[in-house]
Amino acid sequence: MSGGTTTRVDARGGSLFAGSASVRALVYVALAALLFGFGAIAPTHLASEFVLRIGAGGLLLGMLALSVAFLMSQAGLVVLGAASVYGGVGYLFAIAMSKWDLSPTAALLFAFCTVIAYAAVLGALIVRTNPLAFMMLTLAAGEMISHSVMLEGLRDYTSGADGLVVTFKGAVFGMTAADFANATQFWPIAWSAAWILGFAAFAVRRSRFGAILRAIQENEERMRFSGFGTYLPRLAAFVFVNAIADVCGLLHVLNSGFVSPESLGLSVSTNALVAALVGGVANSTGPIAGGVLFAFAQDQFGAHGFTQLLTGLAVVVFIVLLPRGVIGGLIEGARRRSVLSSKRRRTA
Amino acid sequence: MRAHGVIALLIANSLALASLLIMLSSGLALIYGLRDVINFGHGALYMLGAYLGYSIALIGGFWTALVVSPLLLALLGIALEYLVLRPLRGRSHIEVALVTLGLGIILGQALIFVYGGEARGVDAPPALAGSVRMFGLSYPLYRIFLIAMGLGSCTALALWLRFSTSGLYVRAVSQDPSVARMMGVNADRLSLLVTSLSAAFAGVAGVLAGPYLSVDPGMDVTMIVNCLIIVVIGGTGSIAGAIIAALLFGFVQVAGSVFLPDLAALAPYVLLFVVLLIAPRGIGRGRAPA
Repeated sequence: MSGGTTTRVDARGGSLFAGSASVRALVYVALAALLFGFGAIAPTHLASEFVLRIGAGGLLLGMLALSVAFLMSQAGLVVLGAASVYGGVGYLFAIAMSKWDLSPTAALLFAFCTVIAYAAVLGALIVRTNPLAFMMLTLAAGEMISHSVMLEGLRDYTSGADGLVVTFKGAVFGMTAADFANATQFWPIAWSAAWILGFAAFAVRRSRFGAILRAIQENEERMRFSGFGTYLPRLAAFVFVNAIADVCGLLHVLNSGFVSPESLGLSVSTNALVAALVGGVANSTGPIAGGVLFAFAQDQFGAHGFTQLLTGLAVVVFIVLLPRGVIGGLIEGARRRSVLSSKRRRTA
Repeated sequence: MRAHGVIALLIANSLALASLLIMLSSGLALIYGLRDVINFGHGALYMLGAYLGYSIALIGGFWTALVVSPLLLALLGIALEYLVLRPLRGRSHIEVALVTLGLGIILGQALIFVYGGEARGVDAPPALAGSVRMFGLSYPLYRIFLIAMGLGSCTALALWLRFSTSGLYVRAVSQDPSVARMMGVNADRLSLLVTSLSAAFAGVAGVLAGPYLSVDPGMDVTMIVNCLIIVVIGGTGSIAGAIIAALLFGFVQVAGSVFLPDLAALAPYVLLFVVLLIAPRGIGRGRAPA
């Protein structure tokens, strides 16, 4: 873009927001805060409980998709075992309370930290491999976790195929189990969590760390020759995305009050992958919106038992035809249009 | 004497399991060698082979199924090559792998839609129904047949790769795709051959699995996970590595179910992570993706 075009675009922006960049930033923040507040409160008054429930489920799936999308876009690595963290943390939370008599908050912390430690150990083993092997290994690790809850020897802890009911007495962060299960009360929590995690991913992406990750993805050898470590950043990224999935799994178990082997299944992982692909992996909004879209689509088609078929079709269609996803495609389209129109203005 | 018997049984059973795994994972490794793509839909091909085998066996008997099902799968392999691998060859390998994953899910769901969710049993053909006594032990004849098929296909594969011109080209492309192409090797034609061959092997494995394991809706995921573990242990793309890893895997799985039945389901994963810890690239001489 030439200097002339930039000034003209700035001039146009200036007429809208009357002045300097800091004012514009302030307007953006105000708009975001307005959107955040509106989104947190309005649906609880406008939407039915059923819609809220699906919406919150969609946000949870979207956050899981965010974890998949972040690693995909920043490190070129595809995780096929997101469900093992998502469901696994729920199991740990339940077991820590029922078997080891931890208080709900302590159990929550224990579950969170254990999963992070697991992610660090697993990551230390597998981020060294090539991207295809990484994908296979995350799938294998996910299956390992879902097999291990079915082990006869752990039946006392995991109840095998029956799953565990997760109830707790007292409050976690000021909310009781009933509060978490209530769709109207849970929606603002899921909404806020989606914003916080989305911003965290955005901030990491924009940071120096994000730049290093993308540079490693582009050419690992070049980075090594330039004196950068390539192992630790990728490991850190793997732990970071698992922390996102970890939070998401805890919210899920608090909301549903139940964990079962299904929550560890491959279909949860592939759903998250699809949600990421549907929304587009390049930013934070895409995967979260993709999760919500997917949840409502699943509600439409799930009744006919075609959920998994939908998943398979979506993977193929979005990778082959719409590799940027819906949101990514819209952003790209808008950008192209603005470039085109500015070009047209320049020629005029 | 009893200890000897247990060991003999252990080895025979792990060879039987390894036979299926070899047919499937060597197919995966072959495609990887040519296209740098791991076919995540391979488990679904195996499942299709098994269900087709089940249906054909009901009409024409086991032996017809063992011939027809792989032939149909080979046709599907040709379709896979022309409709998926070739059009997408400009895309990243990860994307193509994800597309095969999606196609595998679609195929698996279609099979569940047609055949329903319950497991189906397939009887061994009458000629292989009994048991034989060997070294003072009685052993199912069908498993011996399975082992013979596994070792047979293994040998055939090795002979083809070692002594035929197309086998030489496959090895050349697997070792260094760009140099092989510069020397005039037509990788597309080879890939057509290899993809249909590995789909046909998946068909053979599916039909053979019928009387040995069962034909059920979860068989695709179980098998693809096992095969991926084997491919990683063997060193991605190494065929010899995959064969050795399949034998190792079969042994660990069977020994696990004998000595630690409670934890047997985890044995393959322990093997995987131990190998990764020692040799992150696997035991064979795999090639890193280009």
